[in-house]
This record gives sequence, structure tokens and C-alpha cells, in this order.
Amino acid sequence: MQRAILDGDDAVLALIPDSPRERREVLLDVYRNGYTLRLAEVLRSEHAALHAYLGDETFDDLARAYIAAHPSRTPNARWFAAALPTFLANTEPYSDHAQIAELAAIERASADAFDAGDGPVLGLDALAAFLPEHWPGLVLMPQSSARLLTLSSNALAIWTALDADEEPPEPAILAAPETVVAWRSQHGTHIRAMPPEEAMMWREAVKGLTFAGLCEMVATYDDPDTAALRAATHLQGWISAGLLGGVRVTG
Amino acid sequence: MRRHATVAAARLLRSGGQMRAKTPDTAVSQRPPRLGFGLGLRAQHYGEILDGAPPIDWFEVISENYMVPGGQPLAMLEKIRARYPIVMHGVSMSIASTAPPDLAYLDSLRSLADRFEPKWVSDHLCWTGVHGVNLHDLLPIPYTQEALDHVASRVHLVQERLGRPLTLENVSTYVRFEHSDMTEWEFLAELTRRTGCWLLFDVNNVYVSAFNHGYDPLTFLDGIPADRVVQFHLAGHSDMGTYIIDTHDAPVCDAVWDLYRAALLRFGRVSTMIERDDNIPPLADLIPEIARARDLADEVLGPVPTSRAPEPARSHASA
Repeated sequence: MQRAILDGDDAVLALIPDSPRERREVLLDVYRNGYTLRLAEVLRSEHAALHAYLGDETFDDLARAYIAAHPSRTPNARWFAAALPTFLANTEPYSDHAQIAELAAIERASADAFDAGDGPVLGLDALAAFLPEHWPGLVLMPQSSARLLTLSSNALAIWTALDADEEPPEPAILAAPETVVAWRSQHGTHIRAMPPEEAMMWREAVKGLTFAGLCEMVATYDDPDTAALRAATHLQGWISAGLLGGVRVTG
Repeated sequence: MRRHATVAAARLLRSGGQMRAKTPDTAVSQRPPRLGFGLGLRAQHYGEILDGAPPIDWFEVISENYMVPGGQPLAMLEKIRARYPIVMHGVSMSIASTAPPDLAYLDSLRSLADRFEPKWVSDHLCWTGVHGVNLHDLLPIPYTQEALDHVASRVHLVQERLGRPLTLENVSTYVRFEHSDMTEWEFLAELTRRTGCWLLFDVNNVYVSAFNHGYDPLTFLDGIPADRVVQFHLAGHSDMGTYIIDTHDAPVCDAVWDLYRAALLRFGRVSTMIERDDNIPPLADLIPEIARARDLADEVLGPVPTSRAPEPARSHASA
């Protein structure tokens, strides 16, 4: 019967009688159609922006292709869409338009942040409690829901417009990749772009570089005279947004 | 060895005597409390439930929706659970599958149940996929002696793994198998007798399957042991003329209300809920359906003499 549903195999019809009112083929089709409709609905609900961007017909084609390539292997249909961004990045014709896979990746990151594991959030008070001499050795840890994406297209601008029910901009490949962070705070799920210097500092922080090391990296990246101030500004932004989960002292 | 025996004894105590259910005819576990009139919990209604005090006695939650690492779903369930009794209803146990049991799924289900302490844990008498695939559908089984032996052994395993009795629901079906050698109700009756599992009687599903396969839904109803049903589902469906699809996306229709009346007469004042899975309306649109179920139960069985806060008051009487 699974083969009948997944592959259209008719062998199971030999085991099924007609009902008093209907032919067995029609009754089996309830299961066959239901399978595709149900998973397509999961994809529509997990990827509302991509659906709005592509329209019903193209999205349904995409959904059918994904469903055929990736049968669900998870108890919760919520995870069924997990491989969609990778599928779109590697499957023609979708892979010819980077913004499609990247739009899906933004929605994926947002969904993952939404029900990521609960973890502590670092507040300004906790950071202020460290003595000045400890600051160079501080190592910052990201909040457990934070997810970073690197986009080659203007998918974030497209997503932002779609999310606001506005006309999305024309797709474009960016001169330099854009870093996007998705995370959850007590106020909900958030997505925003990280400017290049801040993104560089974040990546180094996540790797475990100390605050002194981060300041050095920032000084190398741009004007060294204002580096400490810029690093502190990035840090303050992360704390007020709830992007950091903790801090430890090394050295 | 001694330590293992102690662990086994402790597990036996925790599971409410379930290990006795391993021997046919001796299945004994305390009947769950009667909860009154409830609703399937849906994310769309979190705010309305927590901000108001809707006349709903209890909630059923889809287990898989809360088998997530953290965040809003689990935080909301904590809040709901602090105010209401809940039961957990799963859709992916695949109890009748020929594939090996998914122990990781069962352990995850158990840890959710240990955390939220539902009054019972239910799933469906069906399979949902083999070879690691989940078809996200409640698929029919042949009602044969062989299938019964298989499913009964799986129910024993699941009850042991979950440390609590399982409640199984009848599903809507569109096809049946030529080689079935018993009816669905005979299968369910024998399954509960052998394993001590409880039954969730979905009134709509009985109506849908009876129409699709051309039997009288009252025959189904009469074939189910009256003392094993702990929950009713009421829902809507889509009538396609020559068959009915169980869509759970519409108000309960009159024919299903009539069958509910018959179910009340046979099974008594069983915990009842409205189950809406799709096309989910505002909470205010579902409250009248809950009230109608309550009124119908009062009409058929006589009003409940005590207050509507049924759970603590009746937990003894219902044993």
C-alpha cells in the first residue's frame, strides 16, 4: 500500500474490494491524493513567503518535486520541510535563481529559532558585574536559538517585503554576501541583517575568541582608533537583542 | 540481579499495574477520570484560552507538536497545563506497522508525558509508514488474527515503554482488505481485552467508515465493550457523494450528533471533545459545539448533580 501511495503501484488493488457505492481505484486515490495534499500543505505553511513569492502553480510544482524526492521520515511533519533549502539550491530550475533557496533558508532559520531549545539569555547586568581586568579574557556564547545564514542574493529584502505584504524587489545577486541572523527572544522570533564587520566579530566570538581578540580583529577590519568603541557597540546590540546566552572568563 | 528486580518492581508500580496486562484476560489498570467536555488544543487559540476563561473543561494536545526542543509551543503548554487537565494524542506511533517500533519516538513521547502528566496518552489503530517513511496518514490494516497478535504484542511493548496504559482510537478508512477475517469492532474489542488498552471512540470516524464500507454504525457501536471507552471525538467531514472523507475541518453534522446520542446511551458520560484539525475557526465558533455536546449528554443521561469542575470531584467515582 505504501508503494501505491508513494510510487503509484497498483498491486494493492488486488487486495481491496469495491465498496457498495464506489470503485476501489477511486477509494485508493483518497490515500494517494491525501498524501501529496497533506505534505504540500505542510510546505505551504512552513514556507508562506516562498509560496507568496512563487504563486500557487509554481509552488505546487516545487512541492510535488520535493515530496517525490524527500519522503517524510519524521514523526512531526514540522521537520518534513527541513531539507527544502538544500533541495532548491541543488535542483534545477530552482537552483538557477539563488533567491528561491535563500528565501526558503530564511524561513527555515526562523522556524528553527521559533522552537529551538530554551537557553539562558545574557543580560547587561551579568556582563557589567565583571571587573575591568577580566574583560580582555571574556568569551561570549551565543543564545541557543541564534542561527546565522550567508546569502548571495537579496533574499532578505524579498522576504521582508513579502512578510509585510508588499511587492518584493526584483531579484539580484549582491556584490558581497550578506549575513543574516535569526533568533528568538522573549518578544518572539527575529531576523535581521548583520553588517560585515559585526558579522565577522560574531563569527570570531562564536569560535571562542576572547574580547581582547575580538577588539584586535575589529581594529584590523577598519579604523583602529575607534575599534574598541565599535566592538562595544556590537556587543551592546547583541545583549539588548537577547542574542547572547552567556559569558565565561579565560586566562 | 537483585537490583534489576527492584528496578522492575519500581517500574511496575509506576506503570499502574501494566505488567499484569501481559497475560491475556487479566488486563487491569485504573480507569482514567471523566474530564467533562473539552477541545483539541490548537496554536491559534492559545491567546483566547489564556486571556479568557472559556467554558472548556480540558484540552487534548497533539503530542508531536510538542516534541520539539523548546520555545513557544512548550511554554504555552506549560501555561495551559497549569490551568486545565490535558490528554496527549499522537499521530505517529504507527502501532500496527510491521516495521520495528521506533523506540526513540516512544522515549520522546514518554518524556513529554512525564513532564506534562496527561490523564492518558492516545494514538490510532493504524500504521503510518514502513522502511523509515512517514506518510502522515492513518492507514488501514487488515482485521485478521495475525494482525491482532502483532498489534497486541506492540501494545504491550508500548505500554511498557511509556510506563502507562495506551488509549487507541478507531480511524476513518476508505478501503478495506479482502482477507480480513473479523470486523473492526471485533478487532478493537479483542485488542482491549488482551492488552488492557483503553479506547478512544471517534464518533465521526465510525460514521465515515460505516458509510464508506456500507454497514450500520450502530453495529460498530454495539460491538465495542461498554466499559473500555474513555474518550469521544466529535468532528466534521466532507461528503463526496459515493464516499466520505474524514477531513476534520467542518462543524459536526446532524448524523454524527445522532450517533453521539447513541454512543452516550451505550458508553455513558465519557470525556467528550470537539476535534478540529483544519479550517480552524475562532474559539468562539467552537464553544457552541462543546456546549451542544454537554447539553446532549445532560439530555440523554440526566444533568450532572455537582459542579462543572469534574476532574478532582469525580476521579474516585470513575475508577
